[in-house]
Amino acid sequence: MMNEWFDVGIKAFWCGFAALGFGVLFNAPRRTLFAIWAGGFLAGFVKFASLQAIPGSGVIFCSFIAAVIVGIASIPVAHSRHVPPMIFAIPSVIPLVPGVFAYRTMLGLMKLTGNIGSEYSQVLSDTVHNGVITLFVIMALSLGVAVPLHITTKDSVKKIRWK
Amino acid sequence: MQVPTFVDARIFGPLLLDIGIALLTAGASSRRVRITMVRIAAAYEYELHVDIAPKSISLTLHGSNAQEAFTGTRSTAGVGVNFKIISGISRLSWTITEKKWSINEIRNELNRLINLPGYPQLVVLLVVGIAGAAFCYTFGGDTFEMLITFGATFCGLLVKQYLARKSVNPYFCTYLSALMAALLIGAVYKAGTGLQLEHAFTTSVLFLIPGVPMINSFTDLIEGEILNGIERGFNVLIHALAIALALSTVMVIYNFQG
Repeated sequence: MMNEWFDVGIKAFWCGFAALGFGVLFNAPRRTLFAIWAGGFLAGFVKFASLQAIPGSGVIFCSFIAAVIVGIASIPVAHSRHVPPMIFAIPSVIPLVPGVFAYRTMLGLMKLTGNIGSEYSQVLSDTVHNGVITLFVIMALSLGVAVPLHITTKDSVKKIRWK
Repeated sequence: MQVPTFVDARIFGPLLLDIGIALLTAGASSRRVRITMVRIAAAYEYELHVDIAPKSISLTLHGSNAQEAFTGTRSTAGVGVNFKIISGISRLSWTITEKKWSINEIRNELNRLINLPGYPQLVVLLVVGIAGAAFCYTFGGDTFEMLITFGATFCGLLVKQYLARKSVNPYFCTYLSALMAALLIGAVYKAGTGLQLEHAFTTSVLFLIPGVPMINSFTDLIEGEILNGIERGFNVLIHALAIALALSTVMVIYNFQG
């Protein structure tokens, strides 16, 4: 049990570095880089921890929860660093992009174009399964980040007061 | 009587367009471009009507006096990502609302922001390489796979930066960068090093994900900027297709069965 949680922590730690890489690639200001690392850590931690702690939750739901939490967390951080929230939120959720599922979908589609005979229906159902997961995880990430920032129609999150 | 903050619409209008187009080019969502422009216009008591297209901005300014009006359009050649400009202009817009800068001060600050240097190339290559290795770990890769992914990401990004400087078509740029990264992974696999293909292969190309347009696409759709949202979404799809094509090219070259 202890080992599994340790593993969650290590994965989240590396998610932070993946987020940081994208922060630098997107030329984020230097004063925001630590917050981007922390955002990636938070996203990874919430995703892997909820996969671990909530049985039957699935990767789509866990990615969505992680993205929503990052989206909400980006608002106070944006206040304190005087930058738009998207600067933290976008690099932070990119480590959760389902690369392996997307790759398996692509492989499946390529197999389907070939001559595979009796395996066809198995490959077809696997490909659709992987494709749907890829699509929904990406939608969950994008919506999860966008929704907290657009829940009010005020022109800026600077005007949201917590009290 | 002239209000002290009065600025000529024929000077203010083009400046506002430049600010808007700088934001659009730096990868801001349509809503962010709109609210920033409206905020700055309001600070100088102008009413603004603005139309934001995927690669151009049109605006009409109205002052309190009906004769003060300006109409203009600006377009941009290509949209990239630069968070320093987005955060800089966001700060600038708040400063303007609080301090009412002169047009010259705003123009100088805008020029300064646009010409801000990015991170040194080697730093970007190293940090993005580490990000590639980090991706590899979270997808279940071991240390050796992480190391190879670091190398492939480093080389792939180097190709991307070189082609971007030569103004190569962005989709072709993505294809060739993914090809470079995947060819390297394939070569290490073929050398019989016991590399697990799936982890390294998938994660070496993840630095090419167009993350900003992907999220902006949804943001635009939620905000009712449907046309811009669809445009950005399709842009992401074509990049994804370019990555997939590069991977399948490498699989044909090395005769991988998947």
